[in-house]
Amino acid sequence: MSERPDPLKVLAVCGLGMGTSLILRMTAESVLTRLGIAAQVDNTDLSTARSTEADVIVGQGMHMTELEGAATVIVTVDDFVDESALEARLRPALAEVGWL
Amino acid sequence: MSASIPVSAGFTDSVSDWREGTRAAAERLVELGTAGQGYPGSCVASVEEHGPYIVLTPGVALVHAQAEEGQTREGLAVVRLGTPVAFGHPTNDPVDVLLAFSSGGNHMGMIKAVATALGGGLADRIRGAADEAQAEQQLAEVVAHV
Repeated sequence: MSERPDPLKVLAVCGLGMGTSLILRMTAESVLTRLGIAAQVDNTDLSTARSTEADVIVGQGMHMTELEGAATVIVTVDDFVDESALEARLRPALAEVGWL
Repeated sequence: MSASIPVSAGFTDSVSDWREGTRAAAERLVELGTAGQGYPGSCVASVEEHGPYIVLTPGVALVHAQAEEGQTREGLAVVRLGTPVAFGHPTNDPVDVLLAFSSGGNHMGMIKAVATALGGGLADRIRGAADEAQAEQQLAEVVAHV
């Protein structure tokens, strides 16, 4: 376990990197604020995400196998506008690496 | 002035597949004059290329394409299906609400307004709308915040 990066670098990913990932980014920002974690959240497309350094990546399950190993924490989420669903997945994932 | 952002809603019993539904939603933006003729095709191509990720919450697809692809200004449209259609999304299928937007240069503004509205139950309000005019009223409230 390492200390949590400050701010945490988070990537919200979708296929195109524009509309859908931007919505996920907004959801992620709200959740991280609620968790009291300082984070810099960006949104991007799948191929850019592969070559971008990040601590946490969030995106749909269909994309995540392609991103294995691209970040310390990878969280899949089905519903991009449901903050509590994202929080429910993000909490244990961050706790597992000692970042919560 | 945000009040001038045009909106359009249509209720359709069914479509043959997700392509026709996607095209129908984007076509309403062409009719509004906020997107060019090529926009519906670009929206379909985007899903073909990148997969059904635009189905971002259960039952709802956010139809869009690259900002530079023929969007002249902001516009918001919805097609509500009587019979939902599958996009091939592993968890959020089937889809009965197809929201389409064009942004001109104001991508962030449109997305933020739509995301906030979706988080606040927009999809269910569209499902509950008695007629197209009521659904358009819901869309008008969304773009009022752009």
